[in-house]
Amino acid sequence: MGNEAIARGAIEAGICFASAYPGTPSTEIVEALADVAGKVGIHVEWSTNEKVAFEAAYASAIAGVKSLTAMKHVGVNVAADILMSSAYSGVNAGFVLVSADDPGQHSSQNEQDNRWYGLLAHIPVVEPSSPLDAYKLIKEAFKLSEKYMHPVIFRSTTRISHTRQSIELELDPFVERKCVGEFERNIERWVLVPAHGRKQKQRMMSIWRQIREEEGSPPFITVINPGMKKAIVASGIAYAYVDEVLDTINKKNEYTVVKVNLSVPLPLKPIKEVIEEAEKLVVVEELDPVVEMQIRSLAQEHGIAVRVHGKDLVPVNGELSLEIVYEVLARFEGREIAKPWKSIGRIKTNPEVPPRPPVMCAGCPHRSTFYILKVSANKAGLKNPIFTGDIGCYTLGYQKPFETQMTSFEMGGGVGIAYGLSKVVKEPVIGIVGDSTFYHACIPQSINIIYNMGKALVVVLDNYYTAMTGHQPHPGSGMLATGEKAPRIPAERILEAIGFKTYVINPMNIEESIEKVTNAYIEFKKGKPVAIVSRLKCALQVLRYARRSGIVLPAYGIEENKCTACMACINLLACPAIVVPSSSKKPEILEDICVGCGLCAYVCPFDAIVLKREGSPGWIKAWL
Amino acid sequence: MKRYNIFIVGVGGQGLLTLGRIFGNAAIEAGHNVTVAEVHGLAQRGGTLNVQVRIGPGEAPTIPHGATDLFIALEALEAIRYSSYIGEHTRVVVNKFIWPPPLSKYPDLEQISLKLREKGVKPYFVDANEISRKASGTVISANIAILGFSYAVDEGLRNLLEYRHLEKSLQKVFSGKVFEINKVIRRLGYEEGRKAREKTD
Ligand SMILES: Cc1ncc(C[n+]2csc(CCOP(=O)(O)OP(=O)(O)O)c2C)c(N)n1
Repeated sequence: MGNEAIARGAIEAGICFASAYPGTPSTEIVEALADVAGKVGIHVEWSTNEKVAFEAAYASAIAGVKSLTAMKHVGVNVAADILMSSAYSGVNAGFVLVSADDPGQHSSQNEQDNRWYGLLAHIPVVEPSSPLDAYKLIKEAFKLSEKYMHPVIFRSTTRISHTRQSIELELDPFVERKCVGEFERNIERWVLVPAHGRKQKQRMMSIWRQIREEEGSPPFITVINPGMKKAIVASGIAYAYVDEVLDTINKKNEYTVVKVNLSVPLPLKPIKEVIEEAEKLVVVEELDPVVEMQIRSLAQEHGIAVRVHGKDLVPVNGELSLEIVYEVLARFEGREIAKPWKSIGRIKTNPEVPPRPPVMCAGCPHRSTFYILKVSANKAGLKNPIFTGDIGCYTLGYQKPFETQMTSFEMGGGVGIAYGLSKVVKEPVIGIVGDSTFYHACIPQSINIIYNMGKALVVVLDNYYTAMTGHQPHPGSGMLATGEKAPRIPAERILEAIGFKTYVINPMNIEESIEKVTNAYIEFKKGKPVAIVSRLKCALQVLRYARRSGIVLPAYGIEENKCTACMACINLLACPAIVVPSSSKKPEILEDICVGCGLCAYVCPFDAIVLKREGSPGWIKAWL
Repeated sequence: MKRYNIFIVGVGGQGLLTLGRIFGNAAIEAGHNVTVAEVHGLAQRGGTLNVQVRIGPGEAPTIPHGATDLFIALEALEAIRYSSYIGEHTRVVVNKFIWPPPLSKYPDLEQISLKLREKGVKPYFVDANEISRKASGTVISANIAILGFSYAVDEGLRNLLEYRHLEKSLQKVFSGKVFEINKVIRRLGYEEGRKAREKTD
């Protein structure tokens, strides 16, 4: 996998420190590093958030220990402050930020193009064209960083990070690495007061110009078949598509192709040579016209009359594909090129195939908590509550029938937005966030609620893991990235310390939880600062654990004669284990999918849902 | 050499990633270049999912519409959702299993088969869940059952990979008892596939 290739390359490059906060599609980089941390003798951690991760790795690099930090594209927003400063002060050892972007938004709230950060911060951006490229180029990125003692951004995308490819390894992982650093006492360099900052900026700009002048050869810029009248500049993964399309239509010899793997700052020399020879050129890149703009400005600066195409032909939305690049070339050529593929087209059925958005898993504790939060609101007479939300598996609570996530912008907003709303609206406001999300960016907001006397209730959904991104541990898990034991920092202790009266519930004990939450709501209505922590393990992890240790989990079934087809179970819970077969009007529980949480049996008004498979003794412990 | 394209569809949690990985490792065992494009994160939570395996030289990770050589649907509704990836010469294998999203109306297997045939596709249907359940008590290895079945009905795949390459690959992904069970399941799937192939020959 591309992410594993990046991890392996970084080990070969001699890093001794890696820190990250999980986020698709970046997660497996540090996961892979954590797997071998002990073996190769490096420090690997999940940090509390991206800013913390960046600071940790940057500190390592200023002390002379090579380091890597990795995050998803939006994670860089969280770390942006220190990112900007790092370019001013530079480093004393190789330092690479891997930014994994998500064109097409497979798993993100936006598809921002993080190459802009390179231009903004004056940090070079290395962009691989394939997983194999990623493996080789991450090592080059470290060399580049050491050559200029400057941070480097390594920009991957979903289709690089999450594509597997056969790769032949080049080096042994047990290279010599420096793991003990020394702090250079240099106040002018590390203390960015305005006077020092102005000086540092001059240093930074001279490095920037030097990179533009000098880094124009392979592996960063590769000019293939120079001297043609038609040129294609393909940046990052776009090259893989361009290469295959030209191969398919047998036109490789007609074009000069520039493979760009250092897109920011775009090295001048080789590009200038190409645009001087070419009559017309098309820049193929995913998302924003980052390379295109630099080429246009270069052509303009030197009065070169090449016709430059780019985003007039290539979409700014989503991922590229062979078909898109095909069409781009056809339009660039101004004529039809017969496509070598023929689809049978989209099939229409009646009824149509229903959409299948992601759903909360069978047995997901979030489902129970959402149910409890809503039922208790009725009991406590809490009218029209506004449930603000955040990012995680629990965001799926935005769907019917729950609608307990009415906002979701960025991590931390679940509490921050709740606070702001509570100052200006009449309805009660309840901010619901995941556990990993809480540690990541909700603590300052929680403090703000107490300090500025907001009236928002905070709910933390503690399933022990950062579930959405693949169950990484966090400060509440009692475990490190490497699997070793760690101090546990329970959310309720933080909330209590800040000043919330905090109720802890186990959402599998439905009745008891409803009572506790109802009481919490009543306190909240009186104007008291209240928080709730709902604690139960992620069902996927429970299932995994049960399978591994031979524990049988219970499962429920529906007694047909008692079921009146009222659909309460389906309408109230939307559990993927409960389906209505096309041959029947009554719901049925898929025994293979049910993990026995028992919520449906609780809500069935006719007691038609009963235990069908006994769990093995002590199965409940798997959940706690 | 043209790249050989395997498009795998299904629902998050059905073992698509594992299946893609097994094809990928087997291709490496057989000495081919290969890319396997996966999707992680939100899409894995019971949503619609696809994995794209491309065997042969080249690095573009995704398959154009219609360029699929072997199309495997672990869930039948998903076969229709992604039907535009099927081309005139695509081998299509569909699990006889419908997992409807909560509270939805949906076409049945008969209609799905009919609509595919109307487009000139000759789909193979296999009850991969049942094969898995018979051998292991759960449906968790339906992906391996359909792997064995597809290998039996798809000549293109057999030309690229030998049985032992798949076996080696299985061994890389599973170990111990799980490996043994999956070996049996793949064999059962293969037998079903051979019978199905003989029927259509
Ligand atoms: C700034 C930022 N970093 C990382 C992510 C990726 N991400 C999405 S949800 C999530 C955390 C979810 O964990 P948790 O809050 O424990 O909720 P759960 O998924 O377990 O329900 C992360 C890290 C993101 N969206 N934004």
